[in-house]
Amino acid sequence: MASQAIIFRETKDSKGFYILLAVLGAFLALGALAFFHAEHHGHHVTGMNNQVVWGLPHVFAIGLIVAASGALNVGSIGTVFGKKIYQPMGRLSALLAISLLVGGLIVLVLDLGHPDRLIIAMTTYNFKSIFAWNIILYNGFLALSAVYIWTMMDRKVKKFYKLAGVAAFTWRLILTTGTGSIFGFLVARDFYNSAVMAPLFIVMSFAMGLAVFILVLHFAYSWTGRTLGDVVMNRLRYLLAVFIGGVLLLEGARHFTGLYIAQKAGVENFILFEGGIYTQLFWIGQILLGSLLPLSLIFCRKLANNRVALLLAALFTIVGGFAQLYVILIGGQAYPLVLFPGAEVSSDYFDGAINAYAPSIWELMLGLGGVALALVMVTIGVKVLRFLPDSLSDAVADPHSK
Amino acid sequence: MTQLALVIDLNVCVGCSACVTSCKEWNTSSEGGGGMVDKNPYGKDPTGTFFNRVQTFEVGEYPNVETVHFPKSCLHCEDPPCVPVCPTGASYKRKEDGIVLVDYDKCIGCKYCSWACPYGAREIDEKQKVMKKCTLCVDRIYDTTLPEARRKPACVLACPTSARLFGDVHDPMSEVSVAINERGGYQLMPEWGTRPSNHYLPRRKMKAQVTEESLNRIDNPLKKEEQRAPVSSDLPSLDDFLF
Repeated sequence: MASQAIIFRETKDSKGFYILLAVLGAFLALGALAFFHAEHHGHHVTGMNNQVVWGLPHVFAIGLIVAASGALNVGSIGTVFGKKIYQPMGRLSALLAISLLVGGLIVLVLDLGHPDRLIIAMTTYNFKSIFAWNIILYNGFLALSAVYIWTMMDRKVKKFYKLAGVAAFTWRLILTTGTGSIFGFLVARDFYNSAVMAPLFIVMSFAMGLAVFILVLHFAYSWTGRTLGDVVMNRLRYLLAVFIGGVLLLEGARHFTGLYIAQKAGVENFILFEGGIYTQLFWIGQILLGSLLPLSLIFCRKLANNRVALLLAALFTIVGGFAQLYVILIGGQAYPLVLFPGAEVSSDYFDGAINAYAPSIWELMLGLGGVALALVMVTIGVKVLRFLPDSLSDAVADPHSK
Repeated sequence: MTQLALVIDLNVCVGCSACVTSCKEWNTSSEGGGGMVDKNPYGKDPTGTFFNRVQTFEVGEYPNVETVHFPKSCLHCEDPPCVPVCPTGASYKRKEDGIVLVDYDKCIGCKYCSWACPYGAREIDEKQKVMKKCTLCVDRIYDTTLPEARRKPACVLACPTSARLFGDVHDPMSEVSVAINERGGYQLMPEWGTRPSNHYLPRRKMKAQVTEESLNRIDNPLKKEEQRAPVSSDLPSLDDFLF
């Protein structure tokens, strides 16, 4: 049976499109309000302080950035590794990658003390700083993803499709290495300073990016009345399971190594057993809800081909990813700095005490604003340009499926 | 190369926080100081920016406990981990005197340097939204309009017990180097390899020998008076001879 041609088409004008934009617009407005509030009154309106310097906005920002590089994977599997079933999804994959990255960066930038000095960050590089490298990596990722989309949409540059795909894939690996290394290079904090942070963030990006992609793909098709077959979704389903397993493997390796090293045993004990909200988020949020539940939903035989189960698995993978980032970012800061190793200390200024952090509503609003921006970009993107295949039915996606 | 630093004598620090208030006063009100914000300074959970804090520890277990006052500010490391991490180079170490400073005009407020400092010496100014830290009062130690003896960090001048010394730790003949050498000055967490310039002089155990003789003077004149002959009203007194 000959394969059917893949036809890409913009989404149609509909009431739902505007309703979706209105809802997302409301979240965008809340995000903008939160930014102006903190900008006007100062950062003391947030829950962050001198001990916990990065808070909920950074969890959102890094979550979106990590998911962005992972979302590109679907396209990369088709382009770089030649898996044809993934190729029709390449355009959406790259669009989602760009959108998520912009959404994450907007949160990161607006939470800076001085977002107005972004031009300084763009022009005055300290090349010893992994943070400075990340600025280059983010911009490069946006540019390469845009070129990648171009090679997929314009027949005149189709010959560069493979090259652009390989470049974007390579760049995304470097980018997530850079994001993970923001923490990996932190020698001052016991919970970080580990080379495993880079590969851990890469595999986290695989899982979170794919989970976001599955949800966006499903709702983009169901809300526009297009066909999305089980062949495609089952491929993504089992790929998601592999990525969740990868996260568990590296996270396990990280914690076991930490427990083995006396210097890190204190903070590991804190996170794994005595950390209150952080311990709960780790075991319940990340491991139970974010890993074991999605794996169960994916591998339960009675739920094979069950779309709702897959969507729930993707949703809980994202929940688990954010829980993991919250534990990594905030939990690591909550554990006090050790000024006197081997001594049990307490002082009148936070020594030996768990650093408190309660996220404010402004931080949540800013973070959700970033998510909304990413979704607005995708919604408008698929409306004005041909990102979505007309159909991803089983017959179209895989002619040999029957 | 000059490396200016503080040497803090933990043996005589009494934890009065004069160094904290003088630091705050100078760096808030001096020209170009730029202020250090205080939000809710008198509330239950006061927040604010400090370049220098005195942290008070109880050491040991009852009944063998002692209180240690531990003033802590930026240690002006010779290999400061906060400098390479700064994306814009706003955080830098001066070649001429080794002071680690923040260029407030280049700081974008990403707070990554705060993550990198193992001593927790950096604090965000929540109003100006830039990272701040001890400057060793760089704006007064070179101020030639001040008398030479006053060209020292505010905290050094304010300390009532002279627990804070200031000088060049690379000059072996300086007051601070001599104090470090002769009195066992040490760095905070040298294992990090950051080579902090600030040093601490350790507490010394002072055991006073109190003897019975030192409490009861043999030649106590009061006691001699008590030992004089009993006075009787029948005997003539000195007044009888004088008048």
